[in-house]
Amino acid sequence: MLVRLAAEKATGALLRDHGTLYLVDGRVVHAESPAAPGMDVLLTTAGRIPREGWDEAVDRAGAHRAVGRFLVDSGRLGDGELEICHLGAVFDAAFFALSPASGPTRFRYGVGHWFGTVRPVSAEAVERETLRRRELLDAVWPYASVDTAPVVPRPAAPGQGLGARRRALLAAADGVRTPADLARLLGRPAFHTLLDVRRLAAAGLIETPLDAAPDATPTPPPPAFPPVPPVADPDIALLRRLRDALEAHL
Amino acid sequence: MPGIDECLMEAMTLPGARGASLVDWNSGLALGTAGESPVGDHETTAAETAELARAAAEFDSFTVSAEGPGADGDEPPVEDLIVTTRAGYHVLRFVRTSFDSSVFLHLWLDRDTGNLALARLRLADIAERLVLG
Repeated sequence: MLVRLAAEKATGALLRDHGTLYLVDGRVVHAESPAAPGMDVLLTTAGRIPREGWDEAVDRAGAHRAVGRFLVDSGRLGDGELEICHLGAVFDAAFFALSPASGPTRFRYGVGHWFGTVRPVSAEAVERETLRRRELLDAVWPYASVDTAPVVPRPAAPGQGLGARRRALLAAADGVRTPADLARLLGRPAFHTLLDVRRLAAAGLIETPLDAAPDATPTPPPPAFPPVPPVADPDIALLRRLRDALEAHL
Repeated sequence: MPGIDECLMEAMTLPGARGASLVDWNSGLALGTAGESPVGDHETTAAETAELARAAAEFDSFTVSAEGPGADGDEPPVEDLIVTTRAGYHVLRFVRTSFDSSVFLHLWLDRDTGNLALARLRLADIAERLVLG
């Protein structure tokens, strides 16, 4: 449907269960999803713009559908910053809006979004990127159950490296918050958080729900196992992944 | 104030420049591209360079020592990454933003006509103006 709307250069809103895509002349100009933090969360969580500054921009420029432009013209944000943040938010929301389990699709012609146009992207590019992202998640750890379950940390093996971003994510994981909650709390894009969560699960650093079955996406045949040299120092993360995978098949 | 396209165009005026892009290293998304890609497809190049940038941005060996006293909390600990091939140079410059993002500029230069030292300095300058205006 998106491809057809792009071909007819449609303007309006594509409504789905998990989000909405806004098109102008067949190009994607905005997207939002309840699963993905919006521009306001991304910009105010880090203190880049105070909450009052955001509200002022929406009040004064929302009716003209030029909030993005207002943020730049009033000196709150640079052009480059606006484009980087907005593109990130659009692709993030589009990933959820275009998810396959997203129910019926409706298109309302002529409907625009109050944020205004920043940097339109072709519908094909959005669709291609969404597919690529889905494959990337499954290539890291093919258990979609971790995307929505509360994030439950597990103790790290000695010497297991994490990186600052994932350390911050784990520190905020209290066993109740889901990846979407953590994204909002930390002011990060939701897809980036899902990717980090799958990487942590693959490393055995968070729980993968035990009833999880691997996704039904076609996977390449498993490679033949190379001969294993004797090791004095076993790879704990690998052993945990193996155990989790075996348990998941019980 | 320059936007993404103006910054990439400016990078392309450097001697020996063959391709430039702005890439998110977390997702592998190309936010903007200019010129050629070494493999003929900017999206593939973005995904591949993102893997390299992510390793540098996340491994403690590169980042922990940079977080010492005097370091700005917003500043990415790694400034840039240079890959030299037989035919060219690749300079990956991390972009600092004051909201949560993970982007870098990638400039691909011809080995014979490119000037690595100049490109590195100018790319740092472009990355700064991209967000500060």
